[in-house]
Amino acid sequence: MRERDEADFVAFAQGARERLRRTAFLLCGDWDRASDHVQEGLIRVYVAWPRLERAGREYAYARKAVVSAVLDHARRRSSTEVAVEPDPERPAAGDFVDTLTARAALMDALAGLPPRQRACVVLRYFEDLSVADTAAALGCSQGTVKSQTARALDRLRSIFEDSPLGELTLGATSW
Amino acid sequence: MVNELRDLMQQLVTSPPEGDSDLGAVLRDGRSRVRRRRRGLVAVVAAAATVAAVAGVGIFSGGEDGDRVASHPVPRPDGPVLRLSDATQAAEGTDYDVLASSTNKDLDAANGQYYDGVTDDGLILFRDGPHGPENRTRYALLDPATGEEDWLPALDEQGQVWPVALGRDRLVLVALQGMEEAGRLTAQVFDRAQERWSTMTWTGLPELTMAQLPKVGTDGRLYVRVPATEGSPPPGGWPTGDGGEADDSGAEGDTYDLWSVSLEDRSDVRDERLRVGSFAFTDDALVWTDTTNGTNARIHVRDLATGEETDLDPRSGERCNLLSFGVVGDKIVLGQYCGDYDDGRDDRVQVLTTDGEPVTTIQGDGLEGSVSGGLVQVTSYGGRTAGTYVYEPGSGRFVRVSDGVSSYALGGPVPDGYLMWDTPVGEATDPQEPIPGATQWLVRWRS
Repeated sequence: MRERDEADFVAFAQGARERLRRTAFLLCGDWDRASDHVQEGLIRVYVAWPRLERAGREYAYARKAVVSAVLDHARRRSSTEVAVEPDPERPAAGDFVDTLTARAALMDALAGLPPRQRACVVLRYFEDLSVADTAAALGCSQGTVKSQTARALDRLRSIFEDSPLGELTLGATSW
Repeated sequence: MVNELRDLMQQLVTSPPEGDSDLGAVLRDGRSRVRRRRRGLVAVVAAAATVAAVAGVGIFSGGEDGDRVASHPVPRPDGPVLRLSDATQAAEGTDYDVLASSTNKDLDAANGQYYDGVTDDGLILFRDGPHGPENRTRYALLDPATGEEDWLPALDEQGQVWPVALGRDRLVLVALQGMEEAGRLTAQVFDRAQERWSTMTWTGLPELTMAQLPKVGTDGRLYVRVPATEGSPPPGGWPTGDGGEADDSGAEGDTYDLWSVSLEDRSDVRDERLRVGSFAFTDDALVWTDTTNGTNARIHVRDLATGEETDLDPRSGERCNLLSFGVVGDKIVLGQYCGDYDDGRDDRVQVLTTDGEPVTTIQGDGLEGSVSGGLVQVTSYGGRTAGTYVYEPGSGRFVRVSDGVSSYALGGPVPDGYLMWDTPVGEATDPQEPIPGATQWLVRWRS
């Protein structure tokens, strides 16, 4: 990479990495692993940088790279680890609300989603991406995004409705 | 009580702990990976045993014109030289007969169905998937004459697998276990008579990588490379050309220790006590290089009947990195990247005899070569010369069979006389995005 390109990349990475890390955290649930995923994603961006268009697409590409790094990790892990099934002995509703805030409950619920469903939720409702952009970021069809998102939301809503936390709504968009 | 999903997610990341990614490490690893990517790509594609859904970027930089060779100061290889423009147009019915083709219209959106190779008795190893929430893959043997699929029992291994031997009696697919680049080798062996999969692992075998796929030797054993030494980039990284790409030609190569395992006996693991770069088998010889993924000075030939060894100087260019390696009959085929020049890359497919005599070198900008089906298959990625070419080492015939290549690494091992290539389907939505679809072609070659 040319020096000027590398300087451009560094400037981009410095500006983007914190936002990417927040997205990665919501995707994986661990800040340290989120940093690792961002690092891997930025390395992939570095490799592609000379060919990336400089028209505001760098961040979309970087986000796609980070999502891909998270999903790659989840897939490799799933081949070597036994998936954790929902715990039938989890605390009763009263204990649940006593010990967990709504935020923690959401984090717990996200952790119970399959990785791609979780990614759909994070990209659609944290990154506020359209269905088409989410599909592009995940490398799948728009129909897959719709169905995966619907399943994920059903699961999240039912978890909340079954607890004293009450209803879960999508909330207002940021635009 | 109402909880808003968007609001909750924003709250969750409002105050992240310290721990930003290390940009110095990103730059260091990025520079290194640019080099590895350029060197590693051809080896993987040459192996042509898997589908790589290339998300987001093209898989090969290539040149604007794959036939353009930089005039200054690109060195001329020893011996006869062919350009892509020397190839004549191949014709169906004259040069080959199409046995089957398969089209996936949008591999960027979802996985499809693939030809993963051809068995020695002419059946296609047909793969469907991975699909669904659990990414399940299923395989069939497809008869190209009838189109009939004989679905195989479910395969337990659902990670990335590579076919390495598709025989009349058994199919051998290999995989690596582990989360890192190197891992423990496993083989999924399908007994065609018993119609049963079995899994082979070898506890005494060190971890390895898939930079070159294992090969079944003439003795029926599976030969693998265990990483020994790895070349490193110069301090400060590789120089870059005007296009911003690193020029890692003339690199220090990597070496491996050759091991072999039995496909019948899990305890039968053997260190062959031979350090190699790349290796290949002919019917009666083991052929190997000193190093790979870098410059290579010598090629060795061991007569498997007598154990007698000879070696030769391939007389590759000084800056030529060895990227792919194979043998066809008594011809050795070397795929090489030899540097960036004022007006393009110097890529070569060098063919020489096992006595070291030059046969020809196919030279151009943005091409790569591999051995498949007893032929030399050359792929060009750029400009008006994009497409697949075939060189017959025996006759010297050099023809072009297609005028485009897909964005995906497709195909697998085929017996002599068969050939597979792929062509693009559809248009990319953006130059940085892959072309969505691909057609695979399986042909019988007319020699």
